[in-house]
Amino acid sequence: MVYTQRHPALLIMGLVMLGIGVSTTLGWQDELIKYLAIEKLTSEMTSLPYVFGGIAVVVGLWHLLGRHVEGNLDYYLSTIAGATFILLIAMLIRWYLDPWVAVLSKALGPVMGDKYLHDVLGLNYVVLGIIAGILVVNVFQVPRWAENGIRLSRLGLKTGVVLLGVLYSAAELRQLGGLSIIMIGFFVLGSVGLTLWMGARRNIPNSMGGVLAAGMGVCGVSATVASAPVVQAKSLEIAYTIGTILLWGVACMFLFPVVGHFFHMGPVQFGAWAGTGILNSAQVAGAALAFQPNGIETLKVAEIFNITRVLILPIIVLWLAVWYVKREEDAPGVNVGRVVIEKFPVFVLGFLLMFALSSTGIFAPAQHYQGAYFDNNVKPEKLLKPEAVATLQAEVGKVQRDDQRAALGRLIDNRKLMSPDDDDVLRGVVNAKLLSKDANGVLKEAHKAVRHTAKKIAAFRDWITWLFAFGLVGLGMQITIASIRQAGGEPLVIGGVVGTLKAVLSLIVVLLFVHETI
Amino acid sequence: MDQRSQDIDLQQEAGAKFHRGSALSIFKNDRREDWMALLCAMAIVIGVYFTVS
Repeated sequence: MVYTQRHPALLIMGLVMLGIGVSTTLGWQDELIKYLAIEKLTSEMTSLPYVFGGIAVVVGLWHLLGRHVEGNLDYYLSTIAGATFILLIAMLIRWYLDPWVAVLSKALGPVMGDKYLHDVLGLNYVVLGIIAGILVVNVFQVPRWAENGIRLSRLGLKTGVVLLGVLYSAAELRQLGGLSIIMIGFFVLGSVGLTLWMGARRNIPNSMGGVLAAGMGVCGVSATVASAPVVQAKSLEIAYTIGTILLWGVACMFLFPVVGHFFHMGPVQFGAWAGTGILNSAQVAGAALAFQPNGIETLKVAEIFNITRVLILPIIVLWLAVWYVKREEDAPGVNVGRVVIEKFPVFVLGFLLMFALSSTGIFAPAQHYQGAYFDNNVKPEKLLKPEAVATLQAEVGKVQRDDQRAALGRLIDNRKLMSPDDDDVLRGVVNAKLLSKDANGVLKEAHKAVRHTAKKIAAFRDWITWLFAFGLVGLGMQITIASIRQAGGEPLVIGGVVGTLKAVLSLIVVLLFVHETI
Repeated sequence: MDQRSQDIDLQQEAGAKFHRGSALSIFKNDRREDWMALLCAMAIVIGVYFTVS
């Protein structure tokens, strides 16, 4: 069988990519880039289109004019057309559609704390990519010349999952509070176990149960994507899980603050509850800020719990890998140990290897979280200027709380932030809008001077973003309307039951055992 | 194709016809795809490690 189609599509897509690169380089897109606020993406807009556009043009010429004979060359080079098709859609989403949605959403103003509508609904490149893929397959159908290459999307996802390990470190896990580890450990493991049990009782496929368990237990989209290849989840099952999590999160964001005020919860209690019960990171932050718009204490606690949950991901991935292999092969006479060795997904070990490498500190200081870390060894030119210090000194009287006054005093004395705690406390001052715009600007400047992002981790994040965008657009292309009808609403029911149970039980635990100090 | 791979079902569902790989992958079996993912990831890690300061 000859896979390569004699078709000009790949050549045309290559030229379109080169067109994007050239027009960005020559500044023809400057106004659009400014409108979409994507200045930080211009470096990739002037590099990726040349690399992949160039490859597409060369291979596209071969597709159109070459002699195609059955064999490896034909088989593997034919995949370039589908892969380029997915990549071009991913580029259009990341550079144009996703920022445009953000611009429109921001024009409406914040809807929950300082969060905008697209944050609340989780409308980012992940969701937009899946929707784009679904539209392509259901409205236009996947072109024949792209069919072979679309099968590379899962490879992209798996590679992204392996790299995901570099974003976390064991040092960060050790720094977290004991209560957050116990509470999150209990509820994450409990949610995963309950979802798996309910899935088995209600006879949903193991792959659906596995991916839903990770999504409902850990942290939504990342956990879903990371566990999907482990349990061989189908495209529809991934989309279902992400949809369930986001819908659940939206409802929680509005309900949690109301319930929190009803029970007169303090910042620590509410932060612990929101960080445990809500699944999506942006939605956790939104609920915390909605509960306490004039300070950062709730947000800080919620973030600690949220980070703890994310860091349990490697354990959950490992658990699901072993669970899935056992479930699929658990027949009489089967040697489970041998089956685990034969069928265990090797890329999970890669994920754990990256987690271990990241924990050694070779990519970033070992205490980093997703590449961000505190370091106040700043250059003299980065210290606050005398006029900035004077701006702060003039407004010290506006700050009433002792801890905030003390942190502000240390900043004024040293012209830089002295500790991560001071940084957090003064972020609360900025959020509460206690000071003038100029003074808040100075505080933000001081924050930027000591908060760093490791360049290597930033580069890994870009790779992961692209690999996930590529994989999810491709997976979206495998979701047909007929398959959605066939799947029914069972996952939504299970997700709703597990989510509600987790929210209610964690509320009871928080009210009984969590006090205003951790 | 690996006869124990779950992709067999997917291939039938998707209605695709590929004499190599499955409906979800161009590779012969899942493990080969895992190794390829691992190789790709390692290549990226090495590239980033030595090129990004």
